[in-house]
Amino acid sequence: MTTSLLSAPPATTLRQALLADRARALTQLYRQAFPAVRRLVQRQGGSAQDAQDVFQDALVVFYEQAVLGTLELTASASTYLVSIARHRWQHELRRRARLPNEALPDESDALAAEEPEAAEETAFAVRDYVERLGVKCRDMLLNFYYFQQPLTQIAEANGYRSVRSATVQKFKCLERLRASVRAAFCTETIEY
Amino acid sequence: MRPELERLHLIEQQLLNGPAALPAGEWQLRQLFDGELAADAAAQQQLYHGLRAAGRQQLRQELRQIHARLYGGRWAWLRRLWPM
Repeated sequence: MTTSLLSAPPATTLRQALLADRARALTQLYRQAFPAVRRLVQRQGGSAQDAQDVFQDALVVFYEQAVLGTLELTASASTYLVSIARHRWQHELRRRARLPNEALPDESDALAAEEPEAAEETAFAVRDYVERLGVKCRDMLLNFYYFQQPLTQIAEANGYRSVRSATVQKFKCLERLRASVRAAFCTETIEY
Repeated sequence: MRPELERLHLIEQQLLNGPAALPAGEWQLRQLFDGELAADAAAQQQLYHGLRAAGRQQLRQELRQIHARLYGGRWAWLRRLWPM
């Protein structure tokens, strides 16, 4: 994998690397692409923190495209990452020119800006309930729904006897999340 | 699986366009006969949006840790001179 991410790997290779060992693949991408983004941002008057924020935003977008299979690479992964970061930094520079006294929006706002406001608020409320699930359920749901790990991998990593057992557990966790969100939303409605 | 979990599975297939998703006409018919199906599907969609928000939060946390490992600490100045 070491050399495969540095040149122009097919998107499927990259996806497999991210799914097999996320920390390792992300570290490799980080090491490869971040210095160029930092130079770019600092040359244009940004701080080291700006560079970090913009690069991490880009890496989140990149990760989601890669694991969802919507990534189309015509250059190396790091070239593509730098180009996403450059686009986001230019967007941020325009925003600062309009609103010079406001800081970089926080990570959640920056990525959720494309969603309608009400849906975004609900998503953040549900996110808090995800955090309150036990570690086992939380990891199971995030690994499957966000990190897009196959259930075979989840079953193996968590010691489930079969994919079927992992599937049942996943739906039990989803049911728990739904119940806690529903209870909270009902309480809020009654309070109003 | 018990029926409640099967229902979550049915809705999930529909929302995430899974291999067992029903054809659109059949899904609409089910909604006609099951008054709570549309509301349950909307609620489940909200769960998926929340899971995406939570996933992004965790990924950002992991990226901050990677950054700290690569560029923080006592050798940070060296890495700035010779980026790896």
